[in-house]
Amino acid sequence: MITTTKFSYEPGEHEAEKASNSYLMSLIAIVAGLPLPIINLIATLIFYLGNRKGTYFVRWHCTQALLSQLSMLFINSFGFWWTVSIIFTEETITSKYIAYIIAALIFNLTEFIATIYTAIQTRKGIHVEWWFYGNLTNLICKSK
Amino acid sequence: MVVLWQSDKLNLQIKIMRKTIIQGLITIMLFFSTWFALTQIDWITVFKVQKVTDKTEEKLGDLFLEIFQNNEKENKNLFVVNSIDSIVTKICSANKIDRELIKVHILDKGEINAFAIPNGHLIVYSGLILNSDNQEELSGVICHEIAHIQLNHVMKKLVTEIGLSALISMTTGNGGSEVIKETAKMLSSSAFDRNLEKEADIKAVDYLIKAKINPEPFANFLFKLSAKDNEATKYLTWISTHPDSKERAEYIIEYSKDKKTKYEAVMTIDTWDKLKEKLQE
Repeated sequence: MITTTKFSYEPGEHEAEKASNSYLMSLIAIVAGLPLPIINLIATLIFYLGNRKGTYFVRWHCTQALLSQLSMLFINSFGFWWTVSIIFTEETITSKYIAYIIAALIFNLTEFIATIYTAIQTRKGIHVEWWFYGNLTNLICKSK
Repeated sequence: MVVLWQSDKLNLQIKIMRKTIIQGLITIMLFFSTWFALTQIDWITVFKVQKVTDKTEEKLGDLFLEIFQNNEKENKNLFVVNSIDSIVTKICSANKIDRELIKVHILDKGEINAFAIPNGHLIVYSGLILNSDNQEELSGVICHEIAHIQLNHVMKKLVTEIGLSALISMTTGNGGSEVIKETAKMLSSSAFDRNLEKEADIKAVDYLIKAKINPEPFANFLFKLSAKDNEATKYLTWISTHPDSKERAEYIIEYSKDKKTKYEAVMTIDTWDKLKEKLQE
């Protein structure tokens, strides 16, 4: 799922720190954003916008962090509104709903662990590419 | 040389793109298959969700029943109870409804009303029985209320109007007696939404036909009561809370038109007359 590859250049200490921070950003936001799935996305988006003009390594990792948050947003928003409709409307708890929440939890947990791992690795200056998101980032994020 | 290098680059780009799309699709499929695999487990039983809801419903039923029993005298006359039971039992057995689930209570009150409260309690006011011209009319109203019970409309309505948390707090004794009284009043004197009413009407016709009871008097009952003069309307709770009686009567007739079966009476005319006599005592 996660591959460690060589980046096109050796990132400096300052770059590694910034890139690592982009992942930490989404982790910190989880605490605040747990009930509202969009907060994580906003946090990483702000960080991404702030580093749009940063070096390639920093930009690359900000993009990967943002993309991963974006897909989690879909999963979590659906679960969030489903829960709201159960609480406030005549919708009832079904096995389907519980299964969805568990599936969402598994994916969130996987993403959470991957984020921590990537934050640690990028801090050391090691380039980490995720399954799917790594390739997607390669397509979007180009070295100038 | 430059052209060759550029086409190589383009090929690589396409390769990455294809790989990304495949990986993306696999990820989406992975999520949905995880979800699908997890739905194979009956989580409701695992987490005992149903048990909690059933317990809440049971307690709410007892709570509301107590309020009605405190306000009105329950008619425990064996003849009356048995007569109404015979109608309910016939409807239940013909429609494979667990008879134990429907708990009928006849309360002595002039109001023409019948309603369902949680946990399968069905309250019938003596006014309704006395104002029904024949047993088929009464059976129709009973079927309509049984349909509300069977389709779980009662709990749905309570959850929508009051909220599950307020309902649970009622059962734990934190609801406040005023709130419980108001809720009980709402259950007895307001209708469900239009769609739920129609659903119950159609289901009631199905029940009636399966039990070999003619549904036409049920439609007539709606017609008749909607046409009654104003003086009587204050007693016609069941009609005034169920809007568009005329329209309802029409679709009941329409729905039952092509379902010709041989109808038979649940009880004899003598028993029906005696039942009314006993209620008037």
